[in-house]
Amino acid sequence: MSTISTELIRGHTATIILNVLRQGDSYGYEIYKQILKLSGHRYELKEATLYTVFRRLEKEGYIVSYWGDESQGGRRKYYRITESGREYYERSVQEWQFAREILDRLIKGGLNDGKDE
Amino acid sequence: MAKMNDRLDRKIREHFDRLFEGVGSSQALYELKEELVSNLKEKIADYRERGMDEDQAFKEAVISMGDLSGLVEDMRGIGQDEAKRSVYSAKNLRMSAASIVTGTLLVLFGLFTSAMLYFMNHSWETAVDPAIFSVGGGALIVWGALTRETRKKFGMTRIRAGLYALAIGLLLFSLYSSVKTALVTHDTAMGVSAMMVFFLPAVGLWLGLVLTGPDRRKT
Repeated sequence: MSTISTELIRGHTATIILNVLRQGDSYGYEIYKQILKLSGHRYELKEATLYTVFRRLEKEGYIVSYWGDESQGGRRKYYRITESGREYYERSVQEWQFAREILDRLIKGGLNDGKDE
Repeated sequence: MAKMNDRLDRKIREHFDRLFEGVGSSQALYELKEELVSNLKEKIADYRERGMDEDQAFKEAVISMGDLSGLVEDMRGIGQDEAKRSVYSAKNLRMSAASIVTGTLLVLFGLFTSAMLYFMNHSWETAVDPAIFSVGGGALIVWGALTRETRKKFGMTRIRAGLYALAIGLLLFSLYSSVKTALVTHDTAMGVSAMMVFFLPAVGLWLGLVLTGPDRRKT
C-alpha cells in the first residue's frame, strides 16, 4: 500500500493531533492508533513525533494533560484540547484550505487558464 | 502469565532507563517515562495478539516508536535547568546557615561582653555599649531565617529579606539607643524620645513589608 511522504505532512502534525483531540480526550497510544485509522493505514505518525508535539502544544497552552486512574498495567496520561487549542485548530484549517487552493493552481494550473484571450 | 508480565515489564523499564541514561532527573522525565512505558506495553500487547512472540513484539514495537533522541535532548535540557536550580538553592541554604550562625554568635558576644563589663564594676552606661553587636546579630539572624527554604515555605528573595532585617535592626537599635540614653541622662522620658526616632520608621517599614508580601507557601 502506498504511503504519504512525511515531507508533505510535517507542518501539519499539530493540526492532525488537535483534530483527534477536539473529538474527545485521549492518550498517547490511542491517538497514535486513531491517526493511523484516519489515514486508512497510509500514514503512521511515530510516537517519537507525537510526544514531541504534545510537549510543544502543552507549552503553548493548546492542550492540557492529566493522569487517568487505571489500576491495571501502566497509568495513562490523557490530553485535552483547550479553548485556545480549538481556535488554533480552526485557524490552521483555514490556512490549509487557502494553501491547498493556491498549491492546486501552482501545481496543476495551465498558464492560459482563466484568461479570456 | 503474571510472571511473564513482570519480566516484560522490567525489560520495558530497562529499555527506557537506558535510553534516558545520564539525563538529569526531573518531574517531566519521570512522567514521560511512565507515558512511554504504558504506550510500549499496549503496543506489544497488540503485536502479540497478531501472533508475534514476546521478544519479536518488543523489538518491533521499539522500532515502530521511531527515533526518540529529540525527546532525550528535551529532557536533558530540563534536567540541567533543575540541576542549576538545586545548586542555587544549596548555595542559598549555605548563605542562610552562615548568616544565622554569625548572627547568633554576634548576639551572644554582645550580651557576654556587656555582662563581663558590668561584673568588672563598670557602670551600666558603659556596660551596655557592646550590646550594639546584638543589634547587628539580630538583623543577620532574621535575614538568614527568611531566605531559608523549608518544607512548607519557599525562601524569601534576598532583597526583601534584607529589608525585613533592616526593620528588625532598626527596632533593636531603637531599644538599644533608648536604654543607653535613659542610662546616660537618668531620664526615662529622654529614653522614650530617643527610642521614637528609630522605632517609628522600623514599624512603618515592617508593616509595609507584611502587607505587600507574596505568598511563599508551597502547595
